[in-house]
Parts: sequence; C-alpha cells; structure tokens
Amino acid sequence: MGSVRFDHVTKRYGKVEAVSDLNLDIPDGQFMTLVGPSGCGKSTTLNMLAGLDDVTEGEIYIDDQEVSSLPPGERDIAMVFQSYALYPHMSVRDNLAFALMVRKESRAAIQEKVTNAARLLGIEELLDRKPRQLSGGQRQRVALGRALVREPRLFLLDEPLSNLDAKLRVQMRAELKLLFDRLATTVVYVTHDQAEAMTMSDRVAIFDKGVVQQVGTPLELYDRPANVFVAGFLGSPPMNFLEAEIADGQVRGSGFAFGLPAWAGGAGRGAPVVLGMRPEDISLRSASGPTQASISLVEPMGSSTILYTRIGENLVSIETGKDTNLGVGSTVSLDIEPNRLHLFDAATGQTLAPAQ
Amino acid sequence: MTATTLSRVDSTRPRKGRSAARTSDLGWALLRWATVALALIVTIVPFFWLVTTSFKRQIDYLAYPPVVIPSAWTLEGYRVLFEQQDLGHYFANSVIVTLTSTALAVFIGALAAYSLARARFPFKLNGILAFWMLLTRMYPAIATAIPYFLIMRDLRLLDTLPALIVTYTAFNLPFVIWLLIGFYEELPIELERAAMIDGCSVWMRFRKIVLPLSAPALVATAILSAVLAWNEFLFAVMLTRVNAKTLPVVMSGFITDKGTQWDQMTALGVITVLPVLVFALAVQRYLVRGLTLGAVKE
Repeated sequence: MGSVRFDHVTKRYGKVEAVSDLNLDIPDGQFMTLVGPSGCGKSTTLNMLAGLDDVTEGEIYIDDQEVSSLPPGERDIAMVFQSYALYPHMSVRDNLAFALMVRKESRAAIQEKVTNAARLLGIEELLDRKPRQLSGGQRQRVALGRALVREPRLFLLDEPLSNLDAKLRVQMRAELKLLFDRLATTVVYVTHDQAEAMTMSDRVAIFDKGVVQQVGTPLELYDRPANVFVAGFLGSPPMNFLEAEIADGQVRGSGFAFGLPAWAGGAGRGAPVVLGMRPEDISLRSASGPTQASISLVEPMGSSTILYTRIGENLVSIETGKDTNLGVGSTVSLDIEPNRLHLFDAATGQTLAPAQ
Repeated sequence: MTATTLSRVDSTRPRKGRSAARTSDLGWALLRWATVALALIVTIVPFFWLVTTSFKRQIDYLAYPPVVIPSAWTLEGYRVLFEQQDLGHYFANSVIVTLTSTALAVFIGALAAYSLARARFPFKLNGILAFWMLLTRMYPAIATAIPYFLIMRDLRLLDTLPALIVTYTAFNLPFVIWLLIGFYEELPIELERAAMIDGCSVWMRFRKIVLPLSAPALVATAILSAVLAWNEFLFAVMLTRVNAKTLPVVMSGFITDKGTQWDQMTALGVITVLPVLVFALAVQRYLVRGLTLGAVKE
C-alpha cells in the first residue's frame, strides 16, 4: 500500500512561496513524476512528502494517515538522492544494511534482504567495496539498492539519473521502469527532464512557479496540453508557437494561414490567440499553398531530420523524414491537419480546446 | 612553487635585457634562502641549546662567553633530576590533565560545533554564540587569573587535577568549536538527510554518520588542543602547589633564589618535549589533512 494525497499544501520560505496550494492524488502503485524547470517547487514537494521539509500549510496523507508531523524515519518511505548520498565510510553492504540495522532487524533478515537487493541490481560483486571505488552507474545502483532493501510503501526519487552520462541515463531509464513495474510500489519521481517524465511515468504532474499546471498521463499532456507552459515543456524539439488570430474559419498571422480545427468553429472572431504546432505534425507540400517558409537550418538527426524554417519573422521547426533532399535557402509550403493545431488564449496562455 | 611564480611575474615585465632579469632572479633567490635560514635559526637554535645544555657540566653552562659545544658530556643533570624529583608523578599529572581535557574539549566541542553548523537558532543566535565563544579567547588569560584563583579556592579545587582539566577544557573549547564548525558546514547535508530517511535520530546521525566522517578533523583538533594543554604554564603554576603540579611547573622550580639549575631544568625540558615531538611526527599526516579538510572539494 502507498497512496499519497496532498491537500492544499503550501510551502513558504520567508516571503517566497515555493509551493502554492498543492492538491495532488497519487493512487497506490502508480509511477508519478513531478517535472518542471529548476525552482518550480517539485523538489520541495518531494522533500515535504519525505519529511525533510516542513509543511507551511495544508496536510499530506500517506494511506489516509496524516504524516505532516511524522519524522522521515517513521513514514515508511525510501528515497534516492540526486547525489546518491552514499555513506562514504561504509562498504556497499553496510550502506544497504544501514536502514535495516537502524530498525533493529535480525541479522539473518538483513543478510537475506541485502543479498536479494544486490542480486536484483547486479551489484553482488561490489558489496565489499567503498563508494569511492565505484563508477557513477554503480553508485546509482547502490543508491537504488539502499531504497529497495527497505521494501517501503513509497519510493521517492530525486533526479536520480541526472548525474549519469547521456547513454547510461537512457539505459537506466528503461531499467528503472522495468524494476518499478515489477515491484508495483508507488513511486514519486522528480526530474527536470521531460523525456524521463514522458517515458517512465504512469502519470505526470507539471510544475511551474510552485503551481501544478496539469496532471495526466504522458500522452494526455502531450496531446492536450492545458496551457502554453505545458505545451512548450513537453516534446523535443519543442512545440512552435506563433501569434495569430482567428478569422474567416482560419487561424492566421503574418505569412501563414491554417484551417481551424472542428471544435474551434465557434471561437471568437478576431481574437488574438497563440497557435501551437508540434514539429512532427507539420507536413511539407510541393504545391504552393498559403503558408510559405524558407529553410534556414537543416539538422539531420539520423532517424529524422529537423528543418528550421522562417515564416515571416517567426522561426518554425519541422520534423521530417530522414531522406529529405531539401537544403538551406529553399522554400517550402507548409500544412497541418487542423485537428493537430493547438490554440491558446493570448492573454492567459490557457488552451481554447474544450475539456474532454 | 614560489620560484615558478616569481619567474613568471618576471617574464611578463617589459624586456630589460637578460642580465637584468638574471640579477633580479638571483636577488629573489637570495632573499628566499635568507628567509628560510632565519626561520630555521629561530626554531632550531633554542632547541639545540636546550638539548646541549642538558648534557653540559656546570662549568660549561655558566661559562662566559657561552660554550656552544660542551667540552665534556655528562648525564649529571638527568641523574640528579631522577633522584631528587618524583618525576613519574608529575609526568602522570601532565598526561592525565592533557588527555582528559583534550577528550572533553573535543567531545563537547564537536557537539557544539555540530549544532551550530546544522541547527538554525532564532535571532541569529548561531553567529552570536559562535562569536561569543571566540570572545573568551580575545583577552589575555592573565586578566582572569586572580578571580579564577579565588573561584577555584572557594570550590576547594586548588592543587587538584580537576581544576586544571576544567581550565584547559574551557580554554580549548572555542578553538575546537571554530575548527569543527567549518568542517561540519562542508559536510554534505544529503548524507544526513539520507540517514533521517533511514530512520536515524539526531544522536544516531551524529554518532554513525557525522563522527566517523569527521575523524580526520577530530584528530587534528585533538592534537592541537593536546599540545596547548601539555605546554600550558600560567594557570598550572597558579592553581597547583605540590600534588597537581605538571611538568612545566616543575621545570620552573629550578629557577631558585640560589640561581638557576640549568642542567636539571633543560634535562626536564628535553623529557617534556620528547613525547610531543614523537607524537607530532607520528600524526603529522593527519594534522595537515585535517586542517585542510573541506578547503578543497574532492
């Protein structure tokens, strides 16, 4: 068991509000990712859940038990830190066993749990080493192992992959996902990397400036972002944003005009909007259309090619097949399926799409 | 190190011709050697004098002009010293006072430094407390000598080892605390947060995580406060008479109205210095490492 509920939780440091009126439900067994730029309040949220930071206002429940006043050691949680925080003076074995020894478990039980965790993570041959004798990836595994041996009702992970090099990070991402799928324990995972959020999570909460912008499955957030921030945060290369207005059944601006999505038929005429287009949704047409763009940069990624084009003053990136023969300077005609368009209120940044 | 720095400074100057640069290099080298020589003289000559005098006969140590190398070597000073003084007793006094006060100062100091480094007290008390402790070292110790003597008399602690232990502990505390605060502030907070999640109380965190990690710093501060306690003279001479005398006090007893018994005094000096010297050489490595800990990130 391990469900979590934040009920109107606010955290202030002096006058600075790090987290504002947070309401969030995490059902038992779910992999929940808190994602956002640095300083958005995601780590503070995790630390409050862990008991490392006090809650200024509101309540936090784990399994319907109010935990705000419980010390971290009594919340039955395990945490993996960004810096791993392995005890440098202890061997890997003692690092793994430490929490169990603190809890006065029997020697045999500790031995068995440590061995199991080590086997699960493939670190059996490292048990007698000190942390300084380990590579970054190995330290990462030990840090995970230290959480696993606890068999807690809740795993908290604070940017656990950010100290690894790019290749190892992608590999560990998949391993972590497999591992936690197998354990079926609730995980709260903090990261600033949208790719980790997208690939690993059952659900994602996107934070900005201490406020949750949107909560949902990765694809919900990707396909139906609630506002400009969410739309721009998820996806690489990021969504293109253009200032536009709605007129004559079209959304248009300087140098471009696209058909309106079906749901936007009744949208206000002449209202200023922000038009959002994912790079992979934009298609190129040979025939000349109303929207012309000139290519200013070509980035072959291997599996695809990113074209950076100019429409009037705006820079628009387009993801296209890898076999494109378009070069810098050539002009292309752009089009997009109307239902793939994202429209946001220019003043508030909120989506104009009806809630589903 | 110094040499390369200096020559680099020279090479950035406008060219004046090679010979001028060479002369100034030579000048710097001479200055450097002169400084080193001076430092060596200041440290080695008194020590040399101490050791040689302890082996001199009276005719040599009272001679004028002074005799540098004794005309005959003798152990007379040591013989009389061991025969006439209860050296074992005073040596034991010095050892007990030094070890106990050092252990107390490091233990209490580590606790104080840890709480000052980690806890956030209201009203900027952290800074105020730390400074207040330092303040006790800012006036000359002798300013407190008379009141201190009277208090110890009223407590009936005169001429007892506890009087010296308490005094040295109090004297060394500020210095232990200040060295350790710097160290504890550098200790990664995440280690302690991990320990909190693992279920440790504050005391367990300190004992299982913080103390083992600060061992080099503790050793360094322990050495320094031990040396201070071992050498202390002012309060030792003031607070003791017969029983609780430490080696420096015994040594001063050779300055009498009938003249100074140089041979015995220097012999005792050698005996007093030896353990410190051996100890310092043995733990030199820790001392340097402990004092520079936290200065550079690993």
